[in-house]
Amino acid sequence: MPYHLFKCSESIPEREKHSVIKGPGEDITSALPLGYLNTIPGSLSERGCAYCGAKHVIGTPMKDVIHMSHGPIGCTYDTWQTKRYISDNDNFQLKYTFATDMKEQNIVFGAEKMLKKNILEAFKAFPTMKRMTIYQTCASALIGDDIGAIADEIMEEMPDVDIFVCNSPGFGGPSQSGGHHKINIAWMNQKVGTVEPEITSDYVINYVGEYNIQGDQEVMQDFFKRMGIQILSTFTGNGSYDDLRGMHRAQLNVLECARSAEYICNELRVRYGIPRLDIDGFGFEPLSSSLRKVAMFFGIEDRAEAIITEETARWKPELDWYKARLTHKKVCLWPGGSKLWHWANVLHEEMGIDIVSVYTKFGHQQDMEKGISRCEEGALAIDDPNELENMEAMETLEPDIILTGKRPGEVAKKVRVPYLNAHAYHNGPWKGYEGWVRFARDIYNGIYSPIHKLSLLDISKDEIPTDVGFETQRMLSDVNLSDEVKNSTILREYTGEYDCIKGLRDKIYPEYLTKKVSEAV
Amino acid sequence: MYCEVNEKERTGVINPIFTCQPCGAQYASIGIKECIGIVHGGQGCVMFVRLLFSQHFKESFEIASSSVHEDGAIFGALDRVEQAVDVLLMRYPNVKVIPIISTCSTEVIGDDIDGVVIKLNETLLPEKYPGREVHLIPIHTPSFVGSMVSGYDLAVKDFVSYFAKKGESNNKINLITGWVNPGDVTALKHLLSEMDVDANVLFEIEAFDSPLMPSGNHVSHGDTTVEDLIDTANAIGTIALNRYEGGKTAEYLQKEFDIPMIIGPTPIGIRNTDTFLKNLSEMTGKPIPESLVRERGIALDAITDVTHMFLADKKVAIYGNPDLVIGLAQFCLDMEMKPVLLLLGDDNPNYKDDPRIQEFEKNLDYKMEIITNADLWELENRIKNDGLEVDLILGHSKGRFTAMDNNIPMVRVGFPVYDRAGMYRYPVVGYAGAMWLAETIANTWFVDMEYKKNRETILNVW
Repeated sequence: MPYHLFKCSESIPEREKHSVIKGPGEDITSALPLGYLNTIPGSLSERGCAYCGAKHVIGTPMKDVIHMSHGPIGCTYDTWQTKRYISDNDNFQLKYTFATDMKEQNIVFGAEKMLKKNILEAFKAFPTMKRMTIYQTCASALIGDDIGAIADEIMEEMPDVDIFVCNSPGFGGPSQSGGHHKINIAWMNQKVGTVEPEITSDYVINYVGEYNIQGDQEVMQDFFKRMGIQILSTFTGNGSYDDLRGMHRAQLNVLECARSAEYICNELRVRYGIPRLDIDGFGFEPLSSSLRKVAMFFGIEDRAEAIITEETARWKPELDWYKARLTHKKVCLWPGGSKLWHWANVLHEEMGIDIVSVYTKFGHQQDMEKGISRCEEGALAIDDPNELENMEAMETLEPDIILTGKRPGEVAKKVRVPYLNAHAYHNGPWKGYEGWVRFARDIYNGIYSPIHKLSLLDISKDEIPTDVGFETQRMLSDVNLSDEVKNSTILREYTGEYDCIKGLRDKIYPEYLTKKVSEAV
Repeated sequence: MYCEVNEKERTGVINPIFTCQPCGAQYASIGIKECIGIVHGGQGCVMFVRLLFSQHFKESFEIASSSVHEDGAIFGALDRVEQAVDVLLMRYPNVKVIPIISTCSTEVIGDDIDGVVIKLNETLLPEKYPGREVHLIPIHTPSFVGSMVSGYDLAVKDFVSYFAKKGESNNKINLITGWVNPGDVTALKHLLSEMDVDANVLFEIEAFDSPLMPSGNHVSHGDTTVEDLIDTANAIGTIALNRYEGGKTAEYLQKEFDIPMIIGPTPIGIRNTDTFLKNLSEMTGKPIPESLVRERGIALDAITDVTHMFLADKKVAIYGNPDLVIGLAQFCLDMEMKPVLLLLGDDNPNYKDDPRIQEFEKNLDYKMEIITNADLWELENRIKNDGLEVDLILGHSKGRFTAMDNNIPMVRVGFPVYDRAGMYRYPVVGYAGAMWLAETIANTWFVDMEYKKNRETILNVW
């Protein structure tokens, strides 16, 4: 597996060890890109900062909390309304953001007093909110404000409120990943064990590393509830602050995004002996085997099997409709941290898509290890990608679609590669059986867009076809399909609702008696 | 006195109207051709600003970071700037202009970006890049001072003062547009062209609305060149349309090169556009042509159709960049509407001395409140808890939930607008902007009438 040096990066040869091409028959033992090292300044890397890793990725999806950043307004403003972590309490965490608005005099004389005023003001403005998180920024870290001391002072004065402090300034580490780690450990140290939760089931989990992007958490929660499993807390999407203080009482930590949240699982194992089970809500097979694993842990396999059978029967014909039309389409799988390995193999297996490249902005070598082992031969793997390398990769690989962030997606658009938002999704949720079909549908609609096809035509040079008044996605996708597939009475396009989350929110679940109760009866 | 100017009483900010200074400097930087700025600070200061620009324009712009990590924050990070400049120059052979934009972290640790520029000019550039035209421009934009608006104002001035050089008169005027959209630049250039006035437009950002071309790889960037910036010293006059976004530059050019200047008005609405044309005419001696009389007439005709029937007496709240907010308020008044709340999102002490605000204080005949250092909670709290009634909100997308949750129709204006398609393409300035604003406000109101079944039948015969 040779390292790959991009032409555009010949002048910074240290980049060579950040990219590899997966050769025929090779596995990751022959070479692995370097990962999670300091960024090369001026390279137009796509990385963010440790503040955003803590606050924006993990902190703010918590739904019943005043999220305050101690610093100038920019950090707060910039990480507000730039993600799609919804919640079932009318999206309080999306709608409101709080900055202490540090000014020059605060830099000079300290900002602890004004922080205290800020906290009091925020609780006053939202009298029903009794929980708060405070995030340090570069500025408040450098002037050395003791945020924790102020939080303690307030909690003493106002016994009904609780405050969590996260010290993760933007400069703390090569990327957002440093912030993930810091907030995991901080939550563990400050808050876990400070509330005793009510246990209502024999089967109790924490659902960890899940951020409810467009409703992912609610989809997965539905499966767990149908199995009679109590979700003590979700770390952190759609998660409740006080629920997360009771994480120590779970029997199992079910971990989704290992990149951002394995730290707290590992700590919960060490301190409370709670085992960690890594699962995957993306894709029929990974999800089914995840549900089986969780069920097996509790000895309720039949409950999982019932869900798997029902959901597969409902949605598999729709997934296969798309698979028939997406087979051997080439994708650059360019997400942030862990989706390269969550998606690589299953996109190929279940949608027929070939992964021609994977990258990770803030992943570590272990993410690359998993990602590379799951992508196709010949695929190009890039650590800490930058703008010119991405362009070069798109020009050589000619992908049919790329899965990446919003802004890099705009770059792809210009070279006429359709893009889907890998972080926030297009029309998600993408977890769950239905979600996975929605993902396939989004990919299909991206690739087979008639407008995309028109964008490939140069009217000054190419023959302009004048015999066609319109095209549909299906006219483009079905050209080379066999009649058997085209006319299949089994396969069908996606038939779900535009919003598949609303219905879950007032769903009634079967009641399973706990062992204690059933013994009493 | 009916108009009150008050500063927000709270210390903190709930839902900010602006982001911080470095964003403004970055916005100015992307207006320049062959320019990639280096933001000296943590990576988020660039990554999120690039995201913000891409949310608004649905385009990607090139800006680099010096990627300051923990060691740099402790021991100083000027070596990161040196490396960033070198890496950028090696990999982007066309780049000529590199502003070094500071942030809160690098200002707090006291990194001497002026010093490092001198060092690079004496060592790296002559040694490694002899003969290459490279301009390194330090721009100090600590995030704990001002806002993105002052950052923009300051950066425009820093660019101009770096380049401006006296030569032969170019018979042009400098037109400093302020923080506007591509559609505004198109509208302004149209007016200049009708007036037969040759102008150096700062910044030339029409191409921010860039095409999807068969040749591919079209990176959006501004078109103001180094030569344009040098030539600012040779204009016959400067018009800065926005007092707080370019005013500093006009003053600089007057002081340094004796170039006469006019600051304002922001040409939003018929009246302000009239004044702008009069200023253009006086500065250049060119008459206002018949074609613009006609264009003005078309706008007046359209606006007349909607004002006293639909817009009259509607109460409006407006927030955003100060010149935009004030200009919109003036135009709303001409359209018989009642701006009742203006929110200016930073603590600029000069707002109180703004003649336009003083005119509100002097001449208004109903109650208007202007809040400085405001946040969006000043609006929402008044609506939710203090009984403020407004019929319309004018502002950018960050306030969308206030409008939605309170069932108030909202017209998206300013920056950023990411929840409506293509808004950067439409002007708010000039006669075209006046017409677009009036009609968009009216159409938004109509949709609201229909949605709420609120006298929707009156549209049957309109």
